[in-house]
Amino acid sequence: MIVLGAVCPSPPLMARELTGSADVLPELRAASAAAVSALLAAAPDVVMVVGAGPATATWDPDSRLDLSAYAPVLGTDGKSGLPLALGLGAMLLDAAGYVGPRVLQAVGETEAPAECLRLGASLPHLAPRVALLAMGDGSARRGVAAPGHLDRRAAPFDASVERALRDDDMAALASLDPGLASDLLASGRAAWQVLAGALSAPGAADAPASQILYAGAPLGVSYLVVVLGPRGR
Amino acid sequence: MSGLPGPREPGPLVLRGRSFPPGRLLVMAIVNRTPDSFYRPGLTWDEGAALERVHQVVAEGADMLDVGGVPAKPGAEVTALEEMRRVVPFIAAVRAAYPDLVISADTWRHEVGRAACEAGADLLNDTWGGWDPELTEVAAEFGAGLVCSHAGGLPPRTRPFRVSYPDVVADVLDRVLGLADRAVRTGVDPAGIIIDPAHDFGKNSWHSLEITRRLGELTATGWPVLMSASRKDFVGETLGTGVDDRLSGTLAVTAVGAWLGARIFRAHDVAQTRQALDMVAAIRGDLVPARMVRGLA
Repeated sequence: MIVLGAVCPSPPLMARELTGSADVLPELRAASAAAVSALLAAAPDVVMVVGAGPATATWDPDSRLDLSAYAPVLGTDGKSGLPLALGLGAMLLDAAGYVGPRVLQAVGETEAPAECLRLGASLPHLAPRVALLAMGDGSARRGVAAPGHLDRRAAPFDASVERALRDDDMAALASLDPGLASDLLASGRAAWQVLAGALSAPGAADAPASQILYAGAPLGVSYLVVVLGPRGR
Repeated sequence: MSGLPGPREPGPLVLRGRSFPPGRLLVMAIVNRTPDSFYRPGLTWDEGAALERVHQVVAEGADMLDVGGVPAKPGAEVTALEEMRRVVPFIAAVRAAYPDLVISADTWRHEVGRAACEAGADLLNDTWGGWDPELTEVAAEFGAGLVCSHAGGLPPRTRPFRVSYPDVVADVLDRVLGLADRAVRTGVDPAGIIIDPAHDFGKNSWHSLEITRRLGELTATGWPVLMSASRKDFVGETLGTGVDDRLSGTLAVTAVGAWLGARIFRAHDVAQTRQALDMVAAIRGDLVPARMVRGLA
């Protein structure tokens, strides 16, 4: 079963090393840490990290994010790094002191919703107690200063995602349009649809309340931190 | 250079107990107790104005002061007594106000150096290249640092006249390393010895460009290198600008010098120099940038 699910953001600036002297968006990092703490408090047998990658594949659980790809001055150990979303998920688990089993599951950025849902539906069976950490973000076109400049479709898209997560409306997540998400640079679409597949698996309990720990787009990119209640039996 | 010691391992610069690691770029703020220096003459002639400038440059990020009482250019004689009258009480006042700030006395005279050290100076900036050898002994006696400069053998307060060098950098190295070696043998703490090619001193502007371009040969010696280029004539002659319009050129020289390994920068424009040096330090990877968000959101 899925003992708990969480959604966390995946901007590089989640890595404290990348922002220089300034602690940029400490509240975002704190909310993410709180979400991961909640996941771990559910005593999972395994933590499943899902995030966008070049293709749908699992990665070596001992791999980490290569920060030097973003800040060459930080240097590298020479090992190939994880895709950003998985790397930040691994970083959150490390920061929480988690040393138990983890699965790092990339989902292809352009993976079709049906494939994402199918992948998600298989997750509750991984172990008796599975915690699911979905790493990804909403649009990056929330204003003229946003990385992707302003797109009028961005705010409604992000609002729909936030609403779906708050209301545990997995069907709404499942129906997000990959084309629109891609237009809006919303990196979280595929991972959220894996989450939707996992949390709407047969046998899931009735929707317990989800908790939004952070929702905002302070830098023009929509970030969400959400904890979703247990499912399955 | 034969007979001089080889390169030394770069270490911390230590000035009467205050230590600065090799990666740190230091700003030495100019405070002239003169009525007639070349840039903004008389700016800090008044003691109140001079103290006010100290407060300002400290706030702007200066790591040390360089207090001088005699302009480099020729002009009315300033006796040792008059020089002391200009700088010594002022150094004492700054020392009282800033117990931990490094104070350099810009003088070639040992009598002035002695009085300055007694008043609290930590470093003797001997810009005229060892004209008065007893200054080295004063540095040794007080445990003060010493700047070993190249002035082409010119007497203090004289301008270069048709100077030529087969190789100006070789001449600079020969002179400053010779002075540094003599200082060590005299008992000056090696950790407090600085070398300075002294732009414009005993040099035409081509020579100053050359020592800037080849500054790496000085920094390769391992001695901390002082760059004293602020608003000098070689900047003005290169860019065709008057003294009031030499900041950009000075900052370019500063950046190149920092990149090539110079560690101390004597400056009129402290805030701008600090920014230029911080930028270079960040490029080198020696300084953590202030706030990085671009492309990372």
